Amino acid sequence: MSLVTVGIADLKVSNNPEDTLVTYSLGSCIGLTIYDPMAKVGGMLHYMLPDSSINQEKAEKNPAMFANKGIPLLFKQCYKLGADKKRMIIKVAGGSQIMDAAGTFNIGKRNYAILRKIFWKNNVMVDGEDIGGNCNRTMYMQIGDGRTNLKISKRGMVEI
Amino acid sequence: MSLMEEVIAAVDEMPPFPQVVHKAMQVLSEPEYEVSSLVDILKVDQAVTANILKLCNSAYFGLPRKVSSLKEAVVYLGADQLRQLLLSGAASKIYEKPNEGYAVFADELWRHALATAVMAQVLRRHLRLKIDENMIFTAALLHDVGKVVLSAFVSDKYRAIEPLVESGERSFQEAEKEILGFDHAEIGAKIAEKWDFPPAIIAAIAFHHEPFRSPKEFRLLAELVALANNLAVMVGYGTGVDGLACRGHGLLLEKLKLGERDMEELLLLFQIEMEKTCDIAGVGNG
Repeated sequence: MSLVTVGIADLKVSNNPEDTLVTYSLGSCIGLTIYDPMAKVGGMLHYMLPDSSINQEKAEKNPAMFANKGIPLLFKQCYKLGADKKRMIIKVAGGSQIMDAAGTFNIGKRNYAILRKIFWKNNVMVDGEDIGGNCNRTMYMQIGDGRTNLKISKRGMVEI
Repeated sequence: MSLMEEVIAAVDEMPPFPQVVHKAMQVLSEPEYEVSSLVDILKVDQAVTANILKLCNSAYFGLPRKVSSLKEAVVYLGADQLRQLLLSGAASKIYEKPNEGYAVFADELWRHALATAVMAQVLRRHLRLKIDENMIFTAALLHDVGKVVLSAFVSDKYRAIEPLVESGERSFQEAEKEILGFDHAEIGAKIAEKWDFPPAIIAAIAFHHEPFRSPKEFRLLAELVALANNLAVMVGYGTGVDGLACRGHGLLLEKLKLGERDMEELLLLFQIEMEKTCDIAGVGNG
């Protein structure tokens, strides 16, 4: 088994059954995994911001930083390896908040809201998720069988 | 021995902050410093000299020929790069001790410290704050130094701290203070005091979870470090067992009338800068 790290504002896809994709310390960011069990192709995205319109030029260079650029790119890269949209299993984690009654730091909430919006528009269903709260999550996905596990501060390992 | 006495004894055992870095920072804080006086300070320390030359000759800068004189390297790198190199070098050694009380993964405290320092620099530039760059980088880099000493104590009392945080009413730092009688910010300030840092840096470390309690003359720096800490935690850089259980201090954002989009842009600039810094420092991003 080899661990393939997905950094912050990064995405990776794979069709090697030996690979496990991992992204560490999701705070307000969102970790998204998609997996086609027939083709045994999967991918993971770790985005930090909802919308690239804040800076189009930088978004061109860093598409995985944004939900609106990174999500379509993740799907496209999996299609290239033979995945099919209809078979995709979708898991989502992250979107935490720090303790802030004023809502100044609510990027986690907005990161999740835009994902739901994009999926709703494109008829994509989420099969499992663990969202919000003030914990941090590390996300793993095994390419061999698509299992997605989270290591959560205070809660240990859980499968979604 | 009381718990506080035990902690103070542990603070006393901390190794000193490298004098070479202290002295170099004094020179670098002058607007027009003498390169030769900086070289005189740095050349005493062989490891520091070697690191400066190594950075200067690294693929990152892609110089057409090899630089072998310290003076040339100091001129080429300039104040910002030197400051970052010297302070990061010193801080990474301090934070590299095992941190069973706070960390989930190794080197987490260090990554968080570096991210907070980069974030503070981005905030200073973007918001055009008039605070000395040395002060900001040092205070942000060392804000959690108390955790290095408190780690073992927090680990012992974790079972008592955890349910308080789990209830959702207290931040990790508040729970720590309630159970231990003091927190890592207070202990960090004691370490900075022992290391002879100026009062502004000591105050920023002491009040990075409660910037409103900082003496007025140092409050801007404390607010800046508090905000940089919040944002670094939020993005997920080096959050340990405390997760995101810290209180948000958005006063600075409110004062400067910055909204959601401004904050998103700050985070974007931060991430690009952080990737660059991780490249140079050889730290993994993610």
